[in-house]
Amino acid sequence: MSYKLPDDKDLDAMIGIVGKEYATNNKAITASYLSKSVMGLESQIPDIVVRPKYIEEIRKILLYCSAEKIAVSPISAGLSGGFACPTIKPAGVMLDLGRMNRIIEVDTENRYVVVEPGVTIGELWAYMHKNYPEWAPPVPDGAPPASTVMGDAIDRGFSLYTSSVGPQGDNFMCGEIVFPNGDIVRTGSWALPFAKPFYKYGLGPDIWSFLMGSQGTLGVMTKVAVKIYPHPKFKTVVVWGMSNPEDMQNLTLEIGKQEFGIAHNTVMVQGGNYPLVMTRWPKDKVPHDYEFYEQLGISKWWMNWECWAQTQEELDYVVNRINKMAEDFKKNRAKDPDSIKPQELHPKQIASRLKKPNKIAVPYAFWEAGFLFITFYTPWNECAHFAEMYTAAMEKYGFPPVMWIASIERCRQAICMPIICFDSSKQSDLEKVQDMNRETTEYALKQGWLNYRPDPYIHAPLTYSQAGMYWKYLRMMKKTFDPNMIMHPGRLALP
Amino acid sequence: MAKTGMERLKELKKEIYKCIHCKACRFAYSGEPSRAGIGEFTGKQGTVLYEGMIDACPAGIEYGWEAFWNAGKIWIARSILSGDLEFSDEVRDVIMPCITCGQCSAQCENKIPTVDIIESLRAACIESGVPMIEKHQLVDRLVKELNNPYGGKAEERFKWAKDAGLGKYINNKNAKVGYYVGCTASYRQVEVAVATAKIFEQLGIDFTLIEEEVCCGSPFFRVGAVDTAQELMKKNLEAFKNLDMVYFSCAGCYRTITIDYPKWMAEDEKLPFKTMHAFELVSKLITEGKIEFKPNKELKGKVVTYHDPCHTGRHFALEMEQEMIKNSKNLMFDMRKINKAIDEWFEIPRVILRKLEEDVGIKFTEMYRIKNNSMCCGAGGGVRAGYPDFSLRTASLRCDEANAIKADILTTECPFCWRNLSDANDQYNHGMQVMGVLEMISKYNLLDTSNLK
Ligand SMILES: Cc1cc2nc3c(=O)[nH]c(=O)nc-3n(C[C@H](O)[C@H](O)[C@H](O)COP(=O)(O)OP(=O)(O)OC[C@H]3O[C@@H](n4cnc5c(N)ncnc54)[C@H](O)[C@@H]3O)c2cc1C
Ligand code: SF4
Ligand code: SF4
Repeated sequence: MSYKLPDDKDLDAMIGIVGKEYATNNKAITASYLSKSVMGLESQIPDIVVRPKYIEEIRKILLYCSAEKIAVSPISAGLSGGFACPTIKPAGVMLDLGRMNRIIEVDTENRYVVVEPGVTIGELWAYMHKNYPEWAPPVPDGAPPASTVMGDAIDRGFSLYTSSVGPQGDNFMCGEIVFPNGDIVRTGSWALPFAKPFYKYGLGPDIWSFLMGSQGTLGVMTKVAVKIYPHPKFKTVVVWGMSNPEDMQNLTLEIGKQEFGIAHNTVMVQGGNYPLVMTRWPKDKVPHDYEFYEQLGISKWWMNWECWAQTQEELDYVVNRINKMAEDFKKNRAKDPDSIKPQELHPKQIASRLKKPNKIAVPYAFWEAGFLFITFYTPWNECAHFAEMYTAAMEKYGFPPVMWIASIERCRQAICMPIICFDSSKQSDLEKVQDMNRETTEYALKQGWLNYRPDPYIHAPLTYSQAGMYWKYLRMMKKTFDPNMIMHPGRLALP
Repeated sequence: MAKTGMERLKELKKEIYKCIHCKACRFAYSGEPSRAGIGEFTGKQGTVLYEGMIDACPAGIEYGWEAFWNAGKIWIARSILSGDLEFSDEVRDVIMPCITCGQCSAQCENKIPTVDIIESLRAACIESGVPMIEKHQLVDRLVKELNNPYGGKAEERFKWAKDAGLGKYINNKNAKVGYYVGCTASYRQVEVAVATAKIFEQLGIDFTLIEEEVCCGSPFFRVGAVDTAQELMKKNLEAFKNLDMVYFSCAGCYRTITIDYPKWMAEDEKLPFKTMHAFELVSKLITEGKIEFKPNKELKGKVVTYHDPCHTGRHFALEMEQEMIKNSKNLMFDMRKINKAIDEWFEIPRVILRKLEEDVGIKFTEMYRIKNNSMCCGAGGGVRAGYPDFSLRTASLRCDEANAIKADILTTECPFCWRNLSDANDQYNHGMQVMGVLEMISKYNLLDTSNLK
């Protein structure tokens, strides 16, 4: 694809739509949006940044850019690292949707909340906590409070309820989208002017699901209806430690497979290995040997079950069932029974794990200078294989073997996330990351594991090379919504 | 000259590359969205919900664009280092309206020294040939001519001391203890200078005011005029070199001489004297049981709150944190110690306020944002001089926060904060009294030194 480099006339057109205060090509301001971290290491400085407030403004911007063939990259808060920025050159117009920040409606009977793109998870959490303390939105557990609900929807992220209720994409009911051809489409039951966003699959085939995961490549979403869930008072965290990922995988699967009564109460099921603790501190200021962590009572691998229940009795039941199943697993089926043990948490540790949203994942840059989340989906019973493969690769390339794994929908899938902690100020480190990325992606694709939040340089091309037909249809559908292909290709490399 | 701005910026490269653009640094209490607070309050600058995390970067709040929030500036710094961006008037105009309050640094889980980065970026920008904004050029000219940015005459620097009958302390040759007064207390908030000197006198401290004292250079370090700042630094180091201890009443001067001078001095140089703020001394004497306060009818029952000046509060806390991190061998263990040390640091002025509550009968009430999460008064970083309207609106936002807890008296421990808060209090009709803590002690004659002997 080739795009036009916007000029002063194009800036004037943007100013004509949103006003002088909200459109600029000031070089310092455009550069300030840059990000090369977390999920993407390569990104471009936008040529123009526009901060619209109203849907009609977005419609006019898209129509203009479509006619002029100027690329458009929307962001809600821009926390997706490199992929919150354009990935192409000329980079074109970035739409910063932060000013559209209304919490429009909360319906506790039908259990949803309607928000605009700029509503951050911190704001929504605080708003619900204050006004509807019995209800909570499915905010991404580890994402910083400044990230948005909308950004996470389009990203199909992983939230605090995902282990229990299913993929984060399923938590979003209906949406409102502006397409580059100027159409404003409302999906699901919202397609009817007076309907509530109570039914996702509205009229025939579901357009919304197609847009989930589109990451800004198809159109601009201006409203979303998000499910809310009970926020009961009775909560705790149960942790079991072990020496290897296989025992972690198998014990967790046994509990997840129960489905009723127990697995539904385990809202967040996530674990990992001890380097997850180690790399939140500077490399030269923390012991690297496992013995140190062992003395602190940290197992080599562990799994956390965050349990929520309506009564203490129900909570005790869930905790006891998990503990009993773990004891039984240890006695009868574990690969390394001696290593399977409960990890006693101090009440302060429990309170800190229950705190949402938090900054828990931010300090991985403290280890050296920067980090990258690389995320794959695997069937749950293959996550140990993934972990072994990936930690070995990280060690081979000289990175600490940091692995985080969580269950989606009661162990139907695993979200596996190696965290690559490295020195992003060094070109040699960047090259090593990419070499490792290529090697591991090739291996993962052979196993049939899916890259989630791909990058357009390695993951997307390698994946599409094996899913040509799917890519053909994605392109055809993009053409329908975005005839001049101006929406940024993003991390999906579309096209 | 020791270092250039660009050299400092390059030294900070690894810190700059730690930024993941997570934007936590926009908020006070950034990791606590459900923190209990005092609810919503509509003040002179609009409605703010004092609960949970809350937007707290004055520059971002004022200008809105990403470039004005801290994260934007860190990525501007990175773009400069990587060659993606060059210095220009456009760059200057987004990096200058920042109060260098350090609220952003306090929120960063990657412990990025944001203020150091912003100040080095400014210095490198000015060095590259981009002119300073006109208002900064004016104060730069004034200080070069008169050794202070207010246009005051050198011979009038200690007029306040003579007027208050404290002239004998000027060039008091026998004293090994100095009082560095600073320009704001010398030429503008003389109440602060008089109150501090009188307290020293009451405490029996034999101190000296040094006639060769010049501006500490704070505004010039902040706005990137490091040549000017380093000239002033040299003069002060020469003037105060024979003293053992120097006391301060200004948060900015205290921060500059204690923290900035060693950073901009040559590697092998050290500050020739110890430094301490007067409030630390008073607080220490209270803790040791050596001083008390007398009851006062006028103050009894008054709601008094305390504004932590960024320069004495957060900047010292962050410096302490960076230093302790540097010296730590196992940070996982030491972090608790570091947090404890920071908390103890912020408790120092509160020891005085609690004692005033106990002895005098004031009602000491905290605002929502305090200590490391405190909201800036808007005066620092060259902003009061360069962007007066923005500066005053920020001070008014802080006054709103004091109004929200129904404060009668807003105290602080910095004449520069005092000036800005006081101006906002008058201009926006916040209806409080603004006062230095030591000023209050001196003005109402509260000090009881009978236990001192
Ligand atoms: C430290 C850290 C930890 C994280 N932990 C988690 C976690 O635990 N779980 C999880 O799910 N995520 C996690 N994330 C990712 C983060 O939650 C999501 O990236 C975030 O919710 C996205 O919100 P955003 O507003 O920042 O999105 P943005 O970065 O603004 O956008 C994300 C993508 O969607 C597109 N987009 C954004 N808004 C629109 C719109 N309105 N219309 C069309 N396209 C749009 C953009 O072009 C971009 O490609 C983490 C991120 C960080 C930095
Ligand atoms: S400075 Fe720290 S808190 Fe701010 S965006 Fe960067 S990493 Fe996040
Ligand atoms: S120092 Fe203060 S004003 Fe400057 S970016 Fe940080 S929080 Fe904002």
